[in-house]
Amino acid sequence: MDVREYISSGILESYALGELTEAERLEVERNLAQYPELRKELTAIEETMEVFFMEAGKKPGAGVKEKILASVKPKTKVISIDIWKYATAASLIIAFTSVYMAYSFWNNWKKSEASLTELRALNEQVARDYNQVNQRLDAIENEMQIVASPAFERVMMKGTDKAPSAMASVYWNRNSEEVYLSIQNLKTIAQDQQYQLWAMVDGKPMDLGVFDGPATGTGLTGVHKMNSAPANATAFAITVEPRGGKPSPTMETMQVLGNT
Amino acid sequence: MTFHRKTYLTSIAYQGTISESDLIAGLKAKRQPALDYLYDHYSSALYGVISRIIRNQDVAEEVLQDAFLRIWNRIDNYDASKGRLFTWMLNIARNLAIDKTRSKEISKDRKTDDIEELVSKIDRKEQSELSIDTIGLKEVLERLPAEQRFVVEYLYLKGYTQSELAEEFNIPLGTVKTRLRMAMMDLRNELKVNS
Repeated sequence: MDVREYISSGILESYALGELTEAERLEVERNLAQYPELRKELTAIEETMEVFFMEAGKKPGAGVKEKILASVKPKTKVISIDIWKYATAASLIIAFTSVYMAYSFWNNWKKSEASLTELRALNEQVARDYNQVNQRLDAIENEMQIVASPAFERVMMKGTDKAPSAMASVYWNRNSEEVYLSIQNLKTIAQDQQYQLWAMVDGKPMDLGVFDGPATGTGLTGVHKMNSAPANATAFAITVEPRGGKPSPTMETMQVLGNT
Repeated sequence: MTFHRKTYLTSIAYQGTISESDLIAGLKAKRQPALDYLYDHYSSALYGVISRIIRNQDVAEEVLQDAFLRIWNRIDNYDASKGRLFTWMLNIARNLAIDKTRSKEISKDRKTDDIEELVSKIDRKEQSELSIDTIGLKEVLERLPAEQRFVVEYLYLKGYTQSELAEEFNIPLGTVKTRLRMAMMDLRNELKVNS
């Protein structure tokens, strides 16, 4: 095809004016796709037409624009269909999100409940430990006061032949007659037995009270106030007795003994 | 009087603030600001085409409204590979206007006047309007050879189809086409469209 000749025929101008038959129009479109030169020429023609018609323009009356803009507003029906479409989509999204969130919250709540139970147990444990430590501290403070006080004298009680490794001591205030017991080493005894502390006063044993052995779980640590012993006490001793103690000591079970 | 072609050429190249492809995308997405922009930029050009074919202002404005509605509703049919947006819109407006002159309401008007008389009436009005509204364009047209100016005026300004012009003035259709071709070459130079 001779492109120059084709252009010179004015067919592109006719095409741009929309004045070709269907068959001619399709032929031009085929040629346009095939020959870039034709495309370039058509663009030049169209641009010339655009400049020409812009220059030949005439302003329409006022109010025409408003009429046009008002008439292209989408119809309410279309809008409502769109709204329902969006509304349905939105509700589905909300529903799925809610289900997911509910599940997720329920899960978290379950987890939180479990952790809360754990934390409560832990808290109780810590409180118990704290109390124990506090009690220990109280006891140690008490013991320190007694041990450090010049008013108290320490009476060491050494193991007897029956219990050579046993050892305990009393802190004794002769003026106030107060007696505190401190155990260094005593053997474990049966559940139905208790240790009993004695003082020798005027050659006779005097009951100063009973206490549990170390393995019973309530074994004595620190210093413990026992019954008072008069200033003329000459010795202290510990025997193993049936639980609750006895009015007079069982000499065969004497563990430790110390003279003042 | 100088012809303000430079200003206009700038607006062709840049399409004001948005590009032609953005405008088309906006129209296809049915965004009303795109239509707003379209009206501001092209209503005068399209109304110029319509109002020179249809003398009655109310009817011409009605046709302009129809043209914009058709552009809005059929923008999906517009194919940029087949031509520029303006050409597509121009042909919608021009065809609607031509169709209107063939409809009953206008035919009645036409019947009352002799065709020749109507044409000369249009001619007289057209001349006076041209001298007022588009004096720059008139100068450009006057520089064209008479036979070229004649086809441009009848085809572009008076809304004659090429076959109508050929028939009515007894000019071979091929000649009408080549004269328009030559006129367009001259106009391209005169309007400084370089592509």
